[in-house]
Amino acid sequence: MKKHYNGYLIAGLIISGIIIIMTIIGMFWTPYSPTAMSGAAKLQAPSLAHLFGTDNFGRDIFSRVLKGAGTTLTIAVATVAIGAFFGTLIGANTGYFGGIVDDILMRLNDAVTAFPSILLALLIISLTGTGKKYNVILALGIVFIPSFARLMRTTYASYRNANYIISARLMGAGSGRIMMIHILPNTVRVLLPALTIGFNNAVLAEASMSFLGIGVAPPDASLGYMLSDAQGMFSVAPWYAVCTGLVIILLVFGVGLIGAGMQKQGSGVN
Amino acid sequence: MKYTAKKIVLMLVTMILVSFLTYTAFELVSGDPAQAMLGTEATPARLAALREELGLNRPFLIRYFSWLGGLFTGNLGVSFSYKLPVWQLIAPKIEVTLWLCLISFILITVISLPLGIWSYRRSGKIWDFMHTAFNQLCMAIPPFFIGILLSWGFGIVLRVFTPGNLPDLHAHFFDAIRYLFFAAVCLAIPRSAMTVRMMRSTVIGEMEQAYVRTAISRGNDRRAVLTRHVLKNSLVPVVTFLGQTMAELIGGSIVVEQVFGIPGLGRFLVASISNRDYPVVQAIVVILAFWVVLTGTAADLVNQRIDPRLRLEGKR
Repeated sequence: MKKHYNGYLIAGLIISGIIIIMTIIGMFWTPYSPTAMSGAAKLQAPSLAHLFGTDNFGRDIFSRVLKGAGTTLTIAVATVAIGAFFGTLIGANTGYFGGIVDDILMRLNDAVTAFPSILLALLIISLTGTGKKYNVILALGIVFIPSFARLMRTTYASYRNANYIISARLMGAGSGRIMMIHILPNTVRVLLPALTIGFNNAVLAEASMSFLGIGVAPPDASLGYMLSDAQGMFSVAPWYAVCTGLVIILLVFGVGLIGAGMQKQGSGVN
Repeated sequence: MKYTAKKIVLMLVTMILVSFLTYTAFELVSGDPAQAMLGTEATPARLAALREELGLNRPFLIRYFSWLGGLFTGNLGVSFSYKLPVWQLIAPKIEVTLWLCLISFILITVISLPLGIWSYRRSGKIWDFMHTAFNQLCMAIPPFFIGILLSWGFGIVLRVFTPGNLPDLHAHFFDAIRYLFFAAVCLAIPRSAMTVRMMRSTVIGEMEQAYVRTAISRGNDRRAVLTRHVLKNSLVPVVTFLGQTMAELIGGSIVVEQVFGIPGLGRFLVASISNRDYPVVQAIVVILAFWVVLTGTAADLVNQRIDPRLRLEGKR
């Protein structure tokens, strides 16, 4: 079989790879301390000393963006992990067994998806309390469960009566084993692109919430929080908002390309 | 008819579920509204009196249904922080958000449907790549980031509008619409990209159908096949998608209202969450969710008019 050259996947991996690697470095080391203020270096435009310039307290924006991206990334990954894990658990069981539980859960699912995702996250945040990182993860994680559950339900339902599943059943394989070993590997093709989309939604949702001031609050600055900070000083320090925004855009763009590439790859195989 | 009835019943069930979930959730965390309104220094006698007045001594389900009824009669309780009826506070804001979403929705439809068809006609390796890349880029832009740029560019530099000061919708209608237009653009960009992509893949999928091949092999013009047959058949998923778009717009409006300082439902919701003003939060959340359910059902009903097969499905 001829190996396909998948430009999207490569471009996406390069773009998001650079950002993610820099973010991971930023978790351990930043050029300046993200909180160190300097009266002498207030509101400086980007230069070699300060790649993204400095803010009104003379803090190095590049270092702050690295730290902020770390928070955003952690939240996004944790959120998607929660959503995918519980979504798969629910979707697999309802899709495989069907029946009344399936009906009830899907009705509940409809009700939950009636809330736009950000609204649901705000609702949960307003119940659990604002400004804490773990509450944001919890809120967004819950928000992402229904979409994964629905996706996995459809996939599991489509394999439920496949010949090889029936044959496995006849050989005495238990339901748990069939779901884990026989069906789960087949769902990877739909699950992986869904994970990239979920990741992007999580990044954007977290950024929106922190931008609104009800997501992550200082000292845990995230990119969204920094953008709301930057809006106030746009006319004196436009580089603050632009650089922070560009990092979000590039991260989401890169991961989006990976997702598009995987979808292309997936459709090419069949 | 049966299909319509079924959809409407489903809609009502979802609405009841949605409102019940919200009501229960707030009931669990909000504690005692009487205490919240009177503060910690209230005497037990006054607390008891207010509880009686607010009807807090009634059973949970009764309170839920009276609150649900209040949604339609405009009696949604009293705000903790403003001490005013919730309905009086949110009614003017509903109008603002409605206009914002409506303008954005029109923009999306007007931009993305022709663009979707146009982008279908440019299908080749290079176009495909450019298209996907551009699309992903548009989807990667957070609406509030564009909002910051637009409100700076058009608000502060070009002075087309004054950021943070929305003209009154009734007194200065066109000024207000112009203000909302820029906010609507921010909402429309990522969603238009999604709609174009969706439209394009639907049309491409439809063009691979056997009936298209037959029509073309009989000597029909490609363009005529596209406009007469393919577009009609592509309409159903597009309408469904536009229904979901309305839901996304409502979510997005929460953020964009904050950027532009628009006094709409979303901005009020965020402020109320920070103030822990539960009656307001509860009311806004449920109103927005109902809005989403309504538009979803409307999309389904439109589809049923477009595609007779959907009507028959209900009869079986």
